[in-house]
Formats: sequence, C-alpha cells, structure tokens
Amino acid sequence: MSDEPADDALEHELRQLAARLDPVPPELVQAAVGAFSWRNVDAELAELVFDSLLNTDQAALVRSSPGRRLVSFQTPELTIDVEVTTTASGRDVMGQITPPQRASVEIRHRAGVISTDADEQGSFRSASLQTGPMSLRVRPAAGGPRPPIVTDWLSI
Amino acid sequence: MTDEEPGWLVTAAAGGDQAAWEALVERFSGLIWAITRAYRLSRADAADVSQTTWLRLAEHIDKIENADRIGAWLATAARRECLQNIRSKARTVPTEDMSWFDSGSDDDPTEAEVLRAETEREEANRASLLWQAVGRLPARCRQLIRILMAEPPPRYAEIAAALDLPVGSIGPTRARCLQRLRRELGECI
Repeated sequence: MSDEPADDALEHELRQLAARLDPVPPELVQAAVGAFSWRNVDAELAELVFDSLLNTDQAALVRSSPGRRLVSFQTPELTIDVEVTTTASGRDVMGQITPPQRASVEIRHRAGVISTDADEQGSFRSASLQTGPMSLRVRPAAGGPRPPIVTDWLSI
Repeated sequence: MTDEEPGWLVTAAAGGDQAAWEALVERFSGLIWAITRAYRLSRADAADVSQTTWLRLAEHIDKIENADRIGAWLATAARRECLQNIRSKARTVPTEDMSWFDSGSDDDPTEAEVLRAETEREEANRASLLWQAVGRLPARCRQLIRILMAEPPPRYAEIAAALDLPVGSIGPTRARCLQRLRRELGECI
C-alpha cells in the first residue's frame, strides 16, 4: 500500500529539483509564443496522412531509405507528396502536387520563407533547408480565388 | 498559475487572442519540455520538437474537438514528434545520446556546477543522490517520473498521452515508481 502524503512530498521535491537542474529554456518559451504568428486563419489545412518514419510496413521500407523520408499531406481536393533528403548542408525537399498543376509554393522553415513554384507537372524542389520545423503553403494557380493550402508542420 | 479549465483559452486563441495563446504556452511549455527530456532528446532536438508541437497547435487550434483536453492533445503531438526524432536519428548516423541527466552539454550549467552553488552541503548531497537515482530507474519509471516533474503538475490524462498508456494505469504506476525510487535511494521515507 502506498503512502500518499509521502508520495506527494517526494513528487514535490522532484519537481523542485527539475526546476533547478533541468529548467525549461526561456528561448523555448519565447519560440512557443512566437508560433502563434505563423497561424493561417484563411487557409485550408492539408493534414499529414503518411510519414515513412512512422510506417514500418514492407511497402514503406522498400520506398524509403536512410536519409530519405517520404511524407504525404492531403486535402479533399489534392495530395502533396514530399521527399525530404538529408544532405551535408541540411535538408533537400522535392514535392509533388497531385493532380498535377501549377502553384506557388512557400516553404516555411526555421530560417524564414522560401518561395518557389510548382511546374505544370506539379513538382517543386528546394535545397539546403535548415533542420527544424517545416510547413508548406500552396496556392494553386488555377481555380480562382480559393483559400491557400497549408500543410501540417513537421520537424525535418 | 491558473488551474482553470484550459478550454476557454483554446477558444479565445482560436479567435486570435494572443494573450490566451501565451497563457496556453505558460501552462503547457513545461509539460512539453518534460516530455522531450523523458524521451532523452538533446536540447537542440527538444527545441525542434517543442516548436513543431506549438506550430502544429497554432494551425489546428480552430479544429480542436475537445478543447478541455488540449493538454493531452499537446502531449500526444509532442510524443509523436519525439518518436519521429528518435527514429530519424536511428536511420542516419548514430549520434551521442545527450540524456537529460548527463552533464556534458556546453551551453548548460552542469549538474555539478548547479550543485556546487548550493549553500547547504547536505541539501546538495540529497539533490544529487535523488537526481542520480531517477536516472537509474527502469525506462518506463524514469520517463513517468520526468514528466511528473513538469511545472505546473501535469494531469494524469496528459501523462497517459505522453507515454501512450491507459489513464487508469498512471496512478498505480506513479506509486510503484516512487516506491522504486525510494529503494534506489536506499531509504524508507
């Protein structure tokens, strides 16, 4: 039978110990506050539906390899497949929009925003991204004034 | 530190209220940090995981189904990011495991430095022994105890989400792990 007051006291002591020996870094809290400004109120969210890091089935193993990660994002209208490759200078990203279409693509990552375009085949790429959180903001060229699409964030 | 239901903070932040967002950060950044340390991520990786988790919440905040369970939502997201981080490391070059109770990190005051600053030698000794005893616990206990150390104290539902365990198992596991910690300390307090 456990002794609850003693457990609570020990837990309290442990909490104080962590606050002293392994406190939350202030820069981490500042970054979390800043995350709010990246919000896209007008955008449609493309959710992460596949990540080769989380899928260890045979098909995923065949298609992926060390240093190469495959992720897919989806909205009801389109799919964005992204291949992230680890290189000496950071991460390279190759993307494919399906169905294929021209679009402007913003790659949002630690160092800021990189603007590029998907060609008529729907493919786009960018090299030497910094590691850390990344998300895409995609605005299809055709289809009139539709809201842009943003993908879930993932850490690359 | 408020102990109110965080649901209204989610609703307010979804409406664009920066102060509500900051209150959410104040309430849960300690939990997310504790989770990254429970999974033994380095400070740099912990920062990535934490930031990805918050960015993900910012993008999802107007779609959260059960706003009162936002802590568990964040804990689940942080756990997944931790596992992805660990797997991405395992698939590339093995890197040094800078665990949270190692004292080798350059930018950190080391455990020894912090403890040296203690005015009471006995108190420092006790703290050092306790910290080391936590590090010797079996993985599941060490993880649970590290998350339990978060400030403000996490709810059981949040600890359960962080470790992917049933919420009903957290109370008994906590009691068992604290008991185990006492054995490691070699005392019967």
